[in-house]
Amino acid sequence: MNTLARIVPWLIPALCVVALAAWSWRAMRPSGDGFDLEGFATLPVVSNGRIQPLDSLARNRLLSIQGKQRVPGENPPPSPAGWLAELAFTPQQADKRPIFPIHHDEVLGQFELKQEDGKSFSFLQLVPRLGEMSGEVSRIATKDPQIRSPYEKAMMQLWKSLGSYQQLKFSIAHPESAGLESDLTLLVEKAREAKGEEQKRARGEPFAAALTDAAGARMKVLSEWSTQTEVFTKPPAMGKLASEWRKLPDAAVDAIGQEELDPSTLAFARMGDAWRKGDPAAFNTALSGYSEWLATHRPDDLGKAHAETVFNRLAPFYTCMAVYTLAFLCALLSWLGAGHALRTAAFRVLLVGLAIHTAGLIVRMLLEGRPPVTNLYSSAIFIGWGAIALSVLLELFYKNAIGTAVAAITGFSTLIIAHHLSLSGDTLEMMRAVLDTNFWLATHVVIITLGYSATFLAGIIGISYILIRPFWNIPESVATQLRGMAYGVICFATLASFVGTVLGGIWADQSWGRFWGWDPKENGALLIVIWNAMILHARWGGMIRERGLMVMAVFGNIVTSWSWFGTNMLGIGLHSYGFTDAAFLWLSAFIGSQLLVMAAGFLPGKRKPSAPIQAVS
Amino acid sequence: MSGTRNMLAAPIAVFSSLRLTVLLLGLCMILIFWATLLQVQMGIHEVQLRYFRAWIAWFDVVPGEKSFPIPFPGGMLLGALLLLNLLAAHIRRFKLRWEKAGMILVHTGIVLMLLGELFTALLSEESQMRLDEGQTSNHSASPREIELAVISRDMDGIETVNAIPFSRLADGSDFAFDGFDLRVLRFFRNSEIQDARLADGSFDPMRADKGMGATLAVREKPRETAMDLRDLSSAFVEIRLADGTPLGRWLLSNALAGVERFDAGGKTWKMSIRQKRFYHPFSIRLLDFTHERYLGTQIPKNFSSRIRLLNPGEGEDRETLIYMNHPLRYGGLTFYQAGFDNDDSTSILQVVRNPAWTMPYVSCAMVGIGLVWIFSQHLIKAIRRRRRSEP
Repeated sequence: MNTLARIVPWLIPALCVVALAAWSWRAMRPSGDGFDLEGFATLPVVSNGRIQPLDSLARNRLLSIQGKQRVPGENPPPSPAGWLAELAFTPQQADKRPIFPIHHDEVLGQFELKQEDGKSFSFLQLVPRLGEMSGEVSRIATKDPQIRSPYEKAMMQLWKSLGSYQQLKFSIAHPESAGLESDLTLLVEKAREAKGEEQKRARGEPFAAALTDAAGARMKVLSEWSTQTEVFTKPPAMGKLASEWRKLPDAAVDAIGQEELDPSTLAFARMGDAWRKGDPAAFNTALSGYSEWLATHRPDDLGKAHAETVFNRLAPFYTCMAVYTLAFLCALLSWLGAGHALRTAAFRVLLVGLAIHTAGLIVRMLLEGRPPVTNLYSSAIFIGWGAIALSVLLELFYKNAIGTAVAAITGFSTLIIAHHLSLSGDTLEMMRAVLDTNFWLATHVVIITLGYSATFLAGIIGISYILIRPFWNIPESVATQLRGMAYGVICFATLASFVGTVLGGIWADQSWGRFWGWDPKENGALLIVIWNAMILHARWGGMIRERGLMVMAVFGNIVTSWSWFGTNMLGIGLHSYGFTDAAFLWLSAFIGSQLLVMAAGFLPGKRKPSAPIQAVS
Repeated sequence: MSGTRNMLAAPIAVFSSLRLTVLLLGLCMILIFWATLLQVQMGIHEVQLRYFRAWIAWFDVVPGEKSFPIPFPGGMLLGALLLLNLLAAHIRRFKLRWEKAGMILVHTGIVLMLLGELFTALLSEESQMRLDEGQTSNHSASPREIELAVISRDMDGIETVNAIPFSRLADGSDFAFDGFDLRVLRFFRNSEIQDARLADGSFDPMRADKGMGATLAVREKPRETAMDLRDLSSAFVEIRLADGTPLGRWLLSNALAGVERFDAGGKTWKMSIRQKRFYHPFSIRLLDFTHERYLGTQIPKNFSSRIRLLNPGEGEDRETLIYMNHPLRYGGLTFYQAGFDNDDSTSILQVVRNPAWTMPYVSCAMVGIGLVWIFSQHLIKAIRRRRRSEP
């Protein structure tokens, strides 16, 4: 028993690390049958205003279309990038894959579709309905998005998905072209010949009208193609600005003035041809040639794309969720009698999770070149991180596994929220002009988000206290510790939310000329400050004791969730750029659950109840 | 002396209680939350005036036709009571000791912040300067408030501007000028203007007989609530010469571009309803406006206005750049990049005069330092307690 008590605190975290290593090895293992899809996934392009690997492009499109990164069905492509290659090079195959989920009954009814076992629909199934759909869409588009019905929203969502799916088809190839390389080369040659004929015409000499007409028609195809994609594939020359990336068809037009097709266009064309022929060797040769060119001409872009691809595949925040679950279970078991050894093990597992979480945050910061919080998704990640970091301090101070348990719960829930927020698309998106300032993001946004973390943490300590109380006679020593933890965290929350809120006011003064405008998001932040101040004053004035403190701390969850999400749902004010739609039901459910917990706080406990909460006179 | 102290003791005891603090903070939360929800229908400016900058806030319990407003303490009242509460508490419990220094610092900071918000409400002025590329301007205009401007021009070409503020415009109000009388026959705070031939019975029967509004009809509209829309105010005005001869009836509106002209008292006059103007002792010329977007997207990356600042009085003539998060502070005013128009060839600058703008900076620093002070004391105490309890 004694040896076990010595081993367990190291054994469990060690097993956890081994499992993580094995999982990472599996995630990084090459896939695919001969085609170097890993190298393909790493190729940098510009989409959504930023340089990103094809891997991110494919993953984010799949996420926003179907809510997951894996393509379902028989013989699925081995990776998101594999799906992208298939979609661009052999679209007739990709069009058969059921990736469009349609859940709304009216949308299904409109197109006489039937849902079979919750399966999604393929592009091929939807093609016959496109005409009818476009009529509906142009009707709905004239309506204000705020007043669209759920059916109309579902319809617009489906239309948007179909649009972004079609755009990808034109990103690195043209679906109608039989031989990409030969077509593009021919086009450049013919255009050059036509240019000569044009010069003859300008001089008044006889010229071949057929040649100039054919070249004009080809140019028209290219300019149409250019409007059909939003992906930029041709990197600028060494040292040139990122804003000089070009789309593939535009790069082909550029080639007319030069001697030959540029390396990127040529590589994509050759890879496409090889893919269609099922010739992995040719595919890999074209790919490695282009990668080498990138390594010498655009090393930073390639390096960044490579790092992001590794980040995508290791998915650190998903890994964290598993680690936090393990930490929570260990903490739970430690209270059921296993004691000190498991408590230490739980804490160490939590630290492993925190290390991965921190690493993930740092990589995101390096990729973006920004402080940790830039949008709703990253705020969720950071709120979890902040709460865990605070709980680690609590655990070091109190050593009772409560810190570990609440940290694990907060970490897990915020990462779940982050996962759902990531479904809206690219989480490393560019910042709108007014937000484009590292100084204020690093001060106001980070500090106020830490305030959210602390308020949630205090709330979760409150929930734990209230839910345990009816079943367990909480000993005075533990009650004192819980009280101290909640109180300390609320103090920190007051400080962080106050300073964060005022810094927000100062930012507003700097960027649009008034310190305080009673904007919903500002009001939400102010509510958190006032609520925390109320708890402290009520405590100092003896109006509340232990139970009152916990019940009030739980209400802090409601106030914070309102400020975090509720205010964005109002859709007004200067802060409404983070609008989320479906979250409304979840927010209501969360608020309801918190009210229930608060009500449960008034139930008699096993222990002699503390003095009743006195009404505020 | 002690009698005065006794007389003050009872009110100070009530006003200094922590219970009152908690109650007031609770009321603040209700007010803020409720008023935030109301912004959806009412707009942010109306809510500010009616709830945060009011002594009594009237909430409609049953919104709609049959309204049933109930009174609730408004932002001004709650702020004033919190201020009293704070001062009373500190007067009663004031002790100059290091342990109390944090508390005093925090609360002084909060008093400063409340006062800062009050001064801002009372003193600050917001207006906008709209500049086309190449244009020079020495005035900015209020985005919301309007005025009726009556302008005369003398022989030397110097214009004298008489501006009648919005608050004095009402049906039947009368203004005497040098050589004529101006009477407002009808005033519409927000209005819709239409070709008189297409107007139905909901439009006001009054018509103008002079000027560009002679073929138009007007009807009253509810006030605009959206942040990006403004009220279109209109008025029918009548001019009578000093001898009582009516000169005509005009329709003026900020929805109509241009001014109306008439002759009276040997001078030519111009009049119009326009956004309230603020004249500055310097002028600004917009050299270039740029609006960058991220490649292949509509996401704005930066807005910036390169301007030339001309102040002949001070002998200043220099160029500067105003862009996101980098305003120009000059002559007690602050110029911010607020918007753009006309396919990126017009820049809109927000012009703010707020003499109290530094107060939040000071108060934030005070409260922040004070809170750190208090909570580190708590932490040190907790650590000492633990040390003692551990063997």
